Amino acid sequence: MNLDLIDYFQFEFMQRALISALVVGLCAPAVGVFLVQKRLALIGDGLGHIALTGVAIGFLTGTAPMWTTLAVTVAASIVMELLRSHSKTSGDVALAMMFYGGIAGGVYLTGIASDKGVANLQQYLFGSLLTAGWSEVWTIVIGGALVATLMLVLRPWLTAICADEQYARASGLPVAALNLLLLVTTAVTVSVSMRAVGLLLVSALLVIPVVTVQQFTRSFKATMFAAMGAGFLIAGAGVLASAARDVPPGSTIVLLGVAAFVVTALIAALTRRIRRTRRAHLPPEGEPLEVELPTKA
Amino acid sequence: MPVLNVNGATVSYGGRAVVRGVDLHVEPGEAVALMGANGSGKSTLIKAVAGLVPLSGGTIELFGVPHRRFRQWKRVGYVPQRTGAASGVPSTAAEVVSQGRLAHRLLGMPARRADRAAVARSLDEVGLSGHAHCSVDTLSGGQQQRVLIARALATDPDLLIMDEPTVGVDAETQAALAAVVADRIDAGCAVLLVTHELGPLTDRLDRAVVLADGRVVHDGAPPRPVGEHADPHHQHAHPHANGTDGTDDLWGGK
Repeated sequence: MNLDLIDYFQFEFMQRALISALVVGLCAPAVGVFLVQKRLALIGDGLGHIALTGVAIGFLTGTAPMWTTLAVTVAASIVMELLRSHSKTSGDVALAMMFYGGIAGGVYLTGIASDKGVANLQQYLFGSLLTAGWSEVWTIVIGGALVATLMLVLRPWLTAICADEQYARASGLPVAALNLLLLVTTAVTVSVSMRAVGLLLVSALLVIPVVTVQQFTRSFKATMFAAMGAGFLIAGAGVLASAARDVPPGSTIVLLGVAAFVVTALIAALTRRIRRTRRAHLPPEGEPLEVELPTKA
Repeated sequence: MPVLNVNGATVSYGGRAVVRGVDLHVEPGEAVALMGANGSGKSTLIKAVAGLVPLSGGTIELFGVPHRRFRQWKRVGYVPQRTGAASGVPSTAAEVVSQGRLAHRLLGMPARRADRAAVARSLDEVGLSGHAHCSVDTLSGGQQQRVLIARALATDPDLLIMDEPTVGVDAETQAALAAVVADRIDAGCAVLLVTHELGPLTDRLDRAVVLADGRVVHDGAPPRPVGEHADPHHQHAHPHANGTDGTDDLWGGK
């Protein structure tokens, strides 16, 4: 079995698949941790839907879909942020519009493009790691490195605007610019990682590693680093498992992630229960009750 | 030069004026309470001062600089009303308090020794240095409120703005907070405090401004408790109260 797996990685396409998946697994949670904090966990999925329109524009114009996707998702994230901050449209209404409009735009434009016989939306919807070339792998590596560096350097500021936007504004931080930066970075992550896990599943790698590790972490910093590690492991294990079973890597990665979340959630619930019964911690000191408890008759 | 100078401030929400032509002045080192019933516009006024809601009329000057051109937000410490504690991702008390130092740091630069020292000192001031690395979610309501106050203290403010910092905080913690704030007042920090109750925090006040229906109805000596409230044995903590404000008003006042 192990020998078989090593054999698989003698093929260049498997090496490329593994490298891209590991990079995306490492970098996506670095953005996702802020989205979860901001309660925008679904924005990755929203931008993924919009990205369909971008892919279709790529088909229509004959340019590489990654670049048209990047342009469309960045534009969409700017519109989304303007809607959120300058109008009374609530975040989830804007998100709903993205879901419907993005899918419809993608299918409509692909319908036009299919006359030319080039459309294959499926590989972008669900990912096609195995057909990526080296140039695409390099784009993923460079894009991922940029995204991760930016998120790590700006962590305290982004944490502040995501945790308490009002306080961040009252302390004079450039909240609008940072919000925009976060959404544009999400758009870049979605466009770059569509090769690895596919547009419909990209949200998973943004969110699942974060919600998996935060059941055990106490600090934001630890959550961020642990989520990046968890994403790396999940993506790597997903590619290995998909190679062994000869199934699509994108869905395998996501299923592994969901399984990891369920298992850790169960373990976390169990450990909490054990701790409570053992009373390892004394209950927090409170004020003495200033009422007289009724005595039982 | 006053620390805060509000002239004829008017704030409207959707065409309805909530704050109407309010004047408010705070001198350096002065402690002023902004009082009034629920809906009197005191929280809205303080949000306008903190730059969170736009003015529809009048002017606000901070440290002699018009609001629009004011950039030295690190001189202002803001304690928002505590909202539901649970956040998406866990953060430690030290991480939340260090947000108060961001205005002192250049974007993207790591924290310096002075920043870390200020965080440790403010946590110590509110008596939470032992909880610096606890997740905020696991702290009690009063402790969470203290974290928010430590965050405002960490910026070394010359003006401390607090929006109802004692809501849901037990009497013991209120007294401790009053001592912390009194220290800052003695050190020359001006304080603007929104409150609708008299307590340990209001003992150190120089002045009170009372709003009713968006207008100033009193600007002068802080109100003293009368009647039942003046009795030192009067129970301010109502063990049976469900925590919602203004239950007293339901009965037309006491």
